[in-house]
Amino acid sequence: MSDVKMIGGEMPDWSDRGPDGRPPAGGAVLAEILRRMAPAGGRILVAGPHDDVLLDALGSRTEVVCLVRSEADALRLAQRGVTVLCGTLAKVAETDRYNLIIALDGLDRLCSVEGPQLDWAEAVQVLRRALLPGGSLLLSVENELGVHRLVDRSAPTSAHGLGDWRPVGEFDETKPGNPARLAATLSADGLAVSWLAAGWPVPSAPTLLATPQALQDGPVDALSAAAAGAAGTAYAGVPVLSDPRRLAAAAVRGGLGAEFAASWIVLAHRAPRPALDFAPPPVLLGDGPVVELIHDQDGGWVRRLVSGTATPGRDAARLNGPLPTGRLLEELLLAACLRHDLRAARQLLSGWAVWAGTLEARSRAFATFDNVLLDGESYALLDPSRIGAQPSPVEALRRFAETLLGGGYAHPWASATDVDSLTAVLAGAAGVEYRGGESNAIPSMNSLREQEEELRTLRERLADATTRTAWFEAELAGRDAELRRARMQIKAFSGKLGYRVAKLGAVSARKARNALRRARR
Amino acid sequence: MAEYCGLDPENPPRIEGYLQHGWNVADGLGYGTPYVPGRPIFVWSEQTRRRAWSMGRKHSCVTGAPFLYLLRSQSTVPTGRREGTIWYPFHGWEGQHVHGSHQRLIDEIRATEPGPITFCLYWHEFRDDKTRARYEKAGRVITHGYRGLRWQDTETRFLHNQLAELRKHERVASNRLSSAVMYGAAAGCAPAVYGDPMRLAGEETRIAERIRREWPQLHGPNPDQAAATEVALAELGAEDLASPAELRAILGWRVPS
Repeated sequence: MSDVKMIGGEMPDWSDRGPDGRPPAGGAVLAEILRRMAPAGGRILVAGPHDDVLLDALGSRTEVVCLVRSEADALRLAQRGVTVLCGTLAKVAETDRYNLIIALDGLDRLCSVEGPQLDWAEAVQVLRRALLPGGSLLLSVENELGVHRLVDRSAPTSAHGLGDWRPVGEFDETKPGNPARLAATLSADGLAVSWLAAGWPVPSAPTLLATPQALQDGPVDALSAAAAGAAGTAYAGVPVLSDPRRLAAAAVRGGLGAEFAASWIVLAHRAPRPALDFAPPPVLLGDGPVVELIHDQDGGWVRRLVSGTATPGRDAARLNGPLPTGRLLEELLLAACLRHDLRAARQLLSGWAVWAGTLEARSRAFATFDNVLLDGESYALLDPSRIGAQPSPVEALRRFAETLLGGGYAHPWASATDVDSLTAVLAGAAGVEYRGGESNAIPSMNSLREQEEELRTLRERLADATTRTAWFEAELAGRDAELRRARMQIKAFSGKLGYRVAKLGAVSARKARNALRRARR
Repeated sequence: MAEYCGLDPENPPRIEGYLQHGWNVADGLGYGTPYVPGRPIFVWSEQTRRRAWSMGRKHSCVTGAPFLYLLRSQSTVPTGRREGTIWYPFHGWEGQHVHGSHQRLIDEIRATEPGPITFCLYWHEFRDDKTRARYEKAGRVITHGYRGLRWQDTETRFLHNQLAELRKHERVASNRLSSAVMYGAAAGCAPAVYGDPMRLAGEETRIAERIRREWPQLHGPNPDQAAATEVALAELGAEDLASPAELRAILGWRVPS
């Protein structure tokens, strides 16, 4: 077991790895970055909580020192065999210098409760001073206006957890608010930026890293679909303000992918010495298998598998090859629905059904609209690596019906107000056989905006139902009166002639008697 | 529509909603239809749906005109030669009274139409001996059937009769743009709208003028047939017809197991 060096300001009864707190930086994509950049030899400081997968990625070629504020976390790391500095950032000795400093958890968990509480710029300066000349800093900067913040139901400036003793949020004005300012701020501190990428969908574990250039001039449609997919996976079942998939897709498609990303990962070196020899790809993508996107000689974009070959449920090798082009089918369909363009919607659906029928059985279940790109007439799986046995194409239609109804989207089939009947309509339009399901519920989204829409719809339906009930009651009263008259007529004209005459006479006599009584009064 | 959907046409299932009955420039429902809130209205075209939405009908759904489904079901065109014109004098409906001279209109029609004329009268005009006799002097007089009241005595073959008649004629015409003219165009007749529009008692001319402005391609004694047919098909929602399976699902019909 290695030593833990207490540098001062350490927290004995604290852990940054608690179940309620933010998870430490991690994920296969960040691991891939570290795997590529770890220099052979030299010293590396890993500042703040990082997942083991990241430490593993650094390998054993270099001397790794970890800086954490929690004693419990420090002891845990020491058991892994790394050198640990335990304490607060302000106590890091200026004499202790490194070839590379990794701060992928950001800078807000480097100061303990003891001593000065450094703001973002002050923390950068401390780290810069700990770099050897020519040394590099790999830093993650959370975007306070990232889509992950825009959909967050809780305010970052509220002190929810025990770690939030100073929840400054966007009020740390020293923290840059976009990639250009980030580069300028670091440069002013003597740190030259050699690489910068936007991370989606959450800062702690981005599954999509793309340079601003790639987001601007690269395969924007596929990247927009990938960002939406990444957000969908990260936020499945998580309560949000609004559907992050749409915001992510719209931001990337609209050329604001870097500005609305969850975080920026930046590599800067202490000038004027040359930077680390590190050439990351323009795009790294992966929620299991990790692929890099590179420009091929013909100007197209090619996927190359770089890690995660043995991910369960995936045939990762299928990711190698040209990146499919085109727009996400789900968005094309939503757009057709919103425009009430029945013809386009039917073409998209029937084209999809025919194409999905040609897929091999183990891929067919993953031809869901959020995993299919359409370029002209050509459909393609965005992620072809997913395999498994789920037989029916109706499932994809049902999911889209849930998206339409749960998301409160306008669509051309007003008579279908529940998932089952809308799925039946979609199946009819797609030319897919559908025998009907059992659910007639409106799907409930975990999103406040969509819930608001649902509430509005339900209120309207309730008001309509109330009016309808009144209408039916009035109608029923009318029909009852009609029925009474008809019965009387039937009664009057039934029976033998003698009986009918006697009855008519009795009725007339009763009427005459009543009239007489009324006249006497 | 039930026949098109593969269901029994003699016993069509009930539609949980309203089906647009005739062409109009409002929300697709007939004037005075007692609309029950929340129920879908199945309208002919997307343009009608937009108009209906702006009028507060939020549950409109485009299906296309039932007549077009009939055309699809009966796609085999009879081989007989088309001849003459089928003329639909504007009738209003039972509660409305037409102002204008039938005789003047008949004279104009005879002066315009090149071939034999079949006058198709609305059932209450057809039953009126005086009116019918006046038209009989100028040509053949028919009616497609009684519209019925509250699902009683309705001529369920009305559209079938109409299609059969339209397919016998070269031209279809009326003094007002109406469903019949559009059906005729869809069934291959050259459409025309001309003559005294015979205003209804108390009717404003604003709507009639708007119709002429909006659909000039169909007006005049001899409009360009291709352009007129294109407009008529758009009004009938020809681009938006659903497949039998989709239409069944839209109307809430199930195939009996």
